[in-house]
Amino acid sequence: MKQAHCIFEEDDHRWLAIARDPSKPGHIIDTNEYVVVKGKEALLCDPGGIEIFPSVFSALSAECDPTRLAGIFSSHQDPDIISSLALWLEFKPELKCYISWLWQSFLPHFGGEESTFVPIPDPGMTILLGGIELQAIPAHYLHSSGNFHLYDPKAKILFSGDVGAALLPADHNGLYVEDFGRHIRHAEAFHKRWMGSDKAKRDWCERVSRLEIDMMVPQHGAIYRGADVQRFINWFSALEVGVLRS
Amino acid sequence: MNAPQPNLHVKARGSSELARIVRVNEEIKAIVATAFRINLMALNAIFLAKRAGNAALGFGVLSNELRRFAQDLTRNMSSLRDMTSGSVGSVTGVVQYQRNSSILAEAIRLSGDGVPGAREARRRGAARLAAQQAKLRALDIRLRSAVEETQQLVELGGVLARSAKIEAAYGGTFSPALMQVSTDFAEVIAQIKRSLEILGKERLVKD
Repeated sequence: MKQAHCIFEEDDHRWLAIARDPSKPGHIIDTNEYVVVKGKEALLCDPGGIEIFPSVFSALSAECDPTRLAGIFSSHQDPDIISSLALWLEFKPELKCYISWLWQSFLPHFGGEESTFVPIPDPGMTILLGGIELQAIPAHYLHSSGNFHLYDPKAKILFSGDVGAALLPADHNGLYVEDFGRHIRHAEAFHKRWMGSDKAKRDWCERVSRLEIDMMVPQHGAIYRGADVQRFINWFSALEVGVLRS
Repeated sequence: MNAPQPNLHVKARGSSELARIVRVNEEIKAIVATAFRINLMALNAIFLAKRAGNAALGFGVLSNELRRFAQDLTRNMSSLRDMTSGSVGSVTGVVQYQRNSSILAEAIRLSGDGVPGAREARRRGAARLAAQQAKLRALDIRLRSAVEETQQLVELGGVLARSAKIEAAYGGTFSPALMQVSTDFAEVIAQIKRSLEILGKERLVKD
């Protein structure tokens, strides 16, 4: 069963990580969902697929009032990211879904009306939540052709979608990366295969190096904290990507 | 487990509703194919009656009527087919709403009582589902009435086939050939009757 863990809290500003589900069926990839709460509003990042909706919903409800959800941030269009959209809209039809403009007409296949979608232009945009400004940071071709990460400059947290993802063995169930060297072995094959463009990778590394990041929270695997964030950026920068086999 | 069981249950229920539409469509296709056969048979019968001359004047008239019957039947079946095609959208809507409601209900159950917004979400879901089901029920009533209308038309076809058999007896040297054609008509119409009986028993929605 998934649980929400508070990974940042300052007054009425919180980040919740809904991560690690040991009871999830083995054929479904494990995913992390994140909720940014500010005042009376909340934003759900990459809500996940249909099959895990009940456990994500109950984990979220345990920590925050689900009627406060103002929107969904979808890093890209994959089913493990956003196929539960219709179910969230079933709960709250007026939810807004932020997604790259590129996927605006594809996502309605998962659900939603025209008014549901807020297209994010290629250079990114600011998303207002309870008085704070969250930034949609371009991460195109990493791995999707229309791809965004979400940066919270107050909490100094970067939600990095599939970048930083690791396919961890069942016994590696910690929320945070504890040993970067051991952890990154489980991320290498994933990044080589799923990240398609070396140029896009370099652009992203430069872009995020300019941000102040205390935590980098990916959609799969453990969370990078402190110096591990820069360690990851350096490692990723040097990694050859877009290769079929290592 | 994250409760995939209710989802699977809903999938099975939904697929049975779609399977019903497929069965209805298959039966309609079979009748359309048979109606096409009657049309050809009737054309042959008209030529045969012409060759038989005065002895088969009545048979010729009946063959013309049978041809008209085949054309009317094809038209009826085509409108039935349009109805079932339209019902696919409604059934899909019902399946989708049922599935979403079931998963959402499971999510609310896992979250414990008193989740804010849960009651409103349930009410909205139930209203949408009821609207889709009402649409489907209306379609089902239209389909049943169209099947009944077609059954009456086929009764007339049966009468025509029996009359053709009687007329065939007066066909002189052509009598055996005309008798064979009229027997074929009767068999094909009996086949359509059976298909319509099956169709009449099918329901797009459970009562």
